[in-house]
Amino acid sequence: MSDPVAITGVGVVCALGIGVEAFWEALAAGRGGCGPGRRVDTPGLLVAEVAGLEAGRFAFSAQARRIDRTSLLALAAAQLALADAGLTREQLVPASTAVGLGSAFGNLEETAMFLDRVFARGTGNPMLFPNLVMNAPLSYACIELGVTGPTAMVTEQEASGEGAIAWGARQIADGAAQVCLAGGSDELTSGLVRLRRETGTIGAGPPRPLDPHADGACLGEGAAVLVLEGLARARARGASVYAALVPHDGTGIPAPVHGWPVDGDALGRVLAPLVADADLVVAAASGSPPLDTVEADALTGAFGGRRVAVTAPRGATGDFGSAGALGVAAAALAIRDGIVPPTLGCRLPARRGLDVVTGTARRMPVRVAVVDGLARGGMCCPVRLEAT
Amino acid sequence: MRQVAVTGLGAITALGGDVAAFAAALADGRCGVGPLTRFAYTGRCALAAEVPEPAPRGSACDALPRATERRLSRPDRFALVAVEQAVGQAGLDVPALRTAALFVGATVGGMAESEEAYRRRQTGEDRRWRMSRLVGTPLSTTAAAIAQAFAVHGPRATFSTACSSSALAVAEAATAVRSGRADVALAVGTDALCRVTYAGFDALQALDPRGCRPFDRDRGGLSLGEGAAALVLEDAAGARARGARILARVLGHASSSDAHHVTAPDPEGRGALAALRGALASAALSPDAVDYVNAHGTGTRQNDEMEVRVMRTVFGARLPHLPVSSTKAQLGHCLGAAGAIEAVATVLALDGAFLPPTATLRVPDPAWSDLDLVPVAGRRQTSEVAVTSSYGFGGHNVTLVLGRGG
Repeated sequence: MSDPVAITGVGVVCALGIGVEAFWEALAAGRGGCGPGRRVDTPGLLVAEVAGLEAGRFAFSAQARRIDRTSLLALAAAQLALADAGLTREQLVPASTAVGLGSAFGNLEETAMFLDRVFARGTGNPMLFPNLVMNAPLSYACIELGVTGPTAMVTEQEASGEGAIAWGARQIADGAAQVCLAGGSDELTSGLVRLRRETGTIGAGPPRPLDPHADGACLGEGAAVLVLEGLARARARGASVYAALVPHDGTGIPAPVHGWPVDGDALGRVLAPLVADADLVVAAASGSPPLDTVEADALTGAFGGRRVAVTAPRGATGDFGSAGALGVAAAALAIRDGIVPPTLGCRLPARRGLDVVTGTARRMPVRVAVVDGLARGGMCCPVRLEAT
Repeated sequence: MRQVAVTGLGAITALGGDVAAFAAALADGRCGVGPLTRFAYTGRCALAAEVPEPAPRGSACDALPRATERRLSRPDRFALVAVEQAVGQAGLDVPALRTAALFVGATVGGMAESEEAYRRRQTGEDRRWRMSRLVGTPLSTTAAAIAQAFAVHGPRATFSTACSSSALAVAEAATAVRSGRADVALAVGTDALCRVTYAGFDALQALDPRGCRPFDRDRGGLSLGEGAAALVLEDAAGARARGARILARVLGHASSSDAHHVTAPDPEGRGALAALRGALASAALSPDAVDYVNAHGTGTRQNDEMEVRVMRTVFGARLPHLPVSSTKAQLGHCLGAAGAIEAVATVLALDGAFLPPTATLRVPDPAWSDLDLVPVAGRRQTSEVAVTSSYGFGGHNVTLVLGRGG
């Protein structure tokens, strides 16, 4: 058995705050990030916006002067994660450092701006184009951190963060890199909110994940990045370890191409071996009924009658493609502190009578936590964390 | 450690709707670059290597509900066609497919269709957004469409590292098979022309209005193309046991990042060098073992210069005797699909004992007059080992090492 993969750093940027402790304090205290939009124009709708994100604090190269928001969110989380791991840019061995980032949609805001000019004037803006490729966050992160090892931009709908983290864990487990920064980011734009409102796919009130009366998700934005390295290496350099991460390749499940799986039993069979000894499941549930229904069914089946604590951070962070990376961060922190944060908005009894933690945080030892990593189109990218 | 066999290929490109047409056009040096017709565009360049419409409808679409099929983008459809060909050639049965891994590389997905929906919404032709017009988004939709149409429910991921996206998908598929995490893995690349990439590359003055001429003295940029390719990778022992023909083997691969610039390659080619050297090292081969190089060869001044520099460093005095060609002269630069398309071209070269040409080469750059750039038309020649490299916008490099099958 090779050296386990250890999480030694966590960086989070979301509506709850900037930095892992701001995120965790708010999440554990049951504070939510959903409110009226300030940056984005969303009359009458709640969104979970990131406030106070300053490029100058995280981006230093000349090239990063034009960095886009999705890239900046990822870069900020990466820089914070590195600092949290007690590492500096200078300590990274460039060719032995990997970066894996996820995003569901990439740079929506500037893509729309670029198209406005193409349609109006017939030509594109050369200054904007470099930011429009899906891998722009990856490119900026490599340039800022001077990293030249294996890299991947992973996109997998709502499991984009989990998918990138799974890829990153594999780089460490396979020995392709000594250190890997892995996570994901997605931005919120006025256009996305309009689109989701006009197509009737967001809720009117606060999000209520796993509450049977939920009527839809609250859109959000943010990023989380982990520092992954071999456990022995981490111990040798005296790093504090949040948890070990067991790589899982993910499993496809039958589902509509554009929608959530409908067969909770099939999904439950995929999850059952992963959660058999879990103390905590961090759910993908966002308050969107098609997701919450199938997830509750699947978890009920997977637990086989066992009571397992469940929490759904999207009630506090809002819903976005890479929000699952924040779920992994929450799972790591739950293991470190023995605290399960409440699911904001969920009222008991929860769907299928699941043991959803609500109201206030629950103090309990967490040895094994699983982020189930569900995505539209039939993907399950579970991330399993174990106490070391 | 397992050996990784390639047992199925699929391709739909400007050179034709299947692998046989692709191979014939490749060997003949036919050029797929022609007038841009997919959308109105009034910039500097008006050329592209388009897949002619109507593109074939894969029978895999029959497995999807009609409403779902209507929401598939062109690159989704291309991918379904390519996968059908590859799976058919490999002769995979339903149980083998069910547990197969699926790795897709792409950069735009349903961007072209979304651009049109955005235009209609902005001009008021559509008063509001309609789901029925938001086809093929987000980017991972293609992988979902393949998974659901072919009931492929193993591990799955979509990679987007610009022009190396599907080379990375091939590399990840090879890793999954080699390590035993999957017995069979599908690697797919797909992309279609859209305004964002076309206007974007044109705005960067990266498109050659006369059509791309990789390695030519007068090269002035790339031509954009579109299409899809699919490869079936499997454990070589398993392939032999079930009597499948092994078209080629994936011997090694490596990836690296430039950490240099968001658009331009590192002129020193350090990242590209690390990928080429790392790939040969992972295959436990010396540079002397290489018989053919399928170059990234975009036709931009910067890329081709950087690439020749890297090859001179790695292959040294042997380089003049090592055939090097860029199939982008015929296919255009298919961006996210390029890596998989060029992997298919390289497998065809190994399996069919020919060298694809640099079809539009007229006068090689004088600095490279000693190189064998396989000008104009293909050549009969047996190769044992070939490398194919992809260098993505933003500095993400992947090199694959392929070996003859049998």
